[in-house]
Amino acid sequence: MSNVQQEVFEIISKQAKVGIDTIKSESTLKDLGVASLDAIEVIFDIEEHFNINLPNEEVDFESGTVGHLIEAVERQLAQKTG
Amino acid sequence: MRRIVITGMGGICALGHNTSDIWQAMTEGRSGIGPVHHIDAKYLRNNAIAAEISDFDPLAYIDEARVPFLDPLSQYALVAAGEAIRQSGLDFRGERTTRTAIVVGVGSAGEETREGLYRQLYAEQASRFHPLGIVRIMSNAPASHISMVHGITGPTFVVSSACASSNHAFAQAAMMIRAGLVDAAITGGTEACITLGVLRAWEAMRVLAPDTCRPFSANRRGMVLGEGSGMFVLETLESAQARGATILAELAGVGMSADAGDIAAPSDVGAAAAMRMALQDAGMQPDDVDYINAHGTGTVANDCTETRAIHQVFGEHARRLAVTSTKPMHGHALGAAGALEMIAVLGALRDGVVPPTLNYLGPDPACDLDYVPHEARAMKVRAALSNSFAFGGLNAVVALRQAP
Repeated sequence: MSNVQQEVFEIISKQAKVGIDTIKSESTLKDLGVASLDAIEVIFDIEEHFNINLPNEEVDFESGTVGHLIEAVERQLAQKTG
Repeated sequence: MRRIVITGMGGICALGHNTSDIWQAMTEGRSGIGPVHHIDAKYLRNNAIAAEISDFDPLAYIDEARVPFLDPLSQYALVAAGEAIRQSGLDFRGERTTRTAIVVGVGSAGEETREGLYRQLYAEQASRFHPLGIVRIMSNAPASHISMVHGITGPTFVVSSACASSNHAFAQAAMMIRAGLVDAAITGGTEACITLGVLRAWEAMRVLAPDTCRPFSANRRGMVLGEGSGMFVLETLESAQARGATILAELAGVGMSADAGDIAAPSDVGAAAAMRMALQDAGMQPDDVDYINAHGTGTVANDCTETRAIHQVFGEHARRLAVTSTKPMHGHALGAAGALEMIAVLGALRDGVVPPTLNYLGPDPACDLDYVPHEARAMKVRAALSNSFAFGGLNAVVALRQAP
């Protein structure tokens, strides 16, 4: 598991109050019971943690998976260092 | 029960500084959305767009000595109330002064003043704080200034329920008239919320559109903030007829509910309950209604939820309704939303013209009603609903019918 993945899982686990081992890359935030403002807050926590901005286009609360979210974070991190 | 009619309306928003200009813009389908004048887009992630009031000189409407006491919120309220009272022909002398109420809906007050003063305090480390901060910021200021300018001494207060504030204000005013506490009321809403802090706060919720406001449309991306005020004179039908006043419409019923659910996500059940209560209170059947001025914010969640609620309340008649959102024109003015939308509803009832829903790109399968896209429609409007559904799950709906 990459560091980014581990850290994103930890942030979601804390917000969703679910065990980190129940989070899969293919789960959506909705599957994990993170909806509405809780989902917005998860994105905010991720932005704060990595000091990045995740544009709205990168964040699909309906069908986007945790895996998609991790890819978006990695893209933003790459842009930051690149 | 005492019947209540509207005999004056006033307004100011991005579409104009009076209701005839605003209504004309609505019938022509003009949008007041554009780049925010005083905020650099670099401070925002999305885009600094809003439906902002421009070319406004408070001294053209308000006594110079009063202006220093006023946040723009109160300035807008005074402009709108002044127009409404002039149009109604009411004057406040004798018993009328005590028998008139003022109820103003406000979402959040004093934003521009607060931000300006806090910038001095925190960023510029100012050693002095302006002494008029409190009286400009306090939420009740708009209602107080209307009472002072017009010498109205009856029950006067502000109600606040975020985006439903104006409709809750109409309801409070109407109930005081029905109860016989007063015979007339100045009521509506006001909001001045286009500041960097407020824009950033809404942007952080990821509900602001980067392009424009497209209610009920495919590819809608959120709401666009607006500002302004709408104010109305309510009085009993008896009083209006006795003095030969021009009646704009009858305020026939009000409905209110709370979702008791999510703090932000809308609920079709709560929205439907408020619409049903408004119809019942007005003694209307669903098929009496021809037009709904929707809450229609342009967010993904609101527009499909509101559509479902309309189906639940109106059944087969839902497809015969004209349902429009005027927010692409005047923006989402939060606490003033229902008041600006009341201008659209009164225009529709009086002139038989339904203002359009602008910026419609095509149907969303979850939004399957007649939203009158792009262009106004001439049609008879016997009765109408005006919907407002607030964050916090607070819903308020007003039912109106043509002047008797």
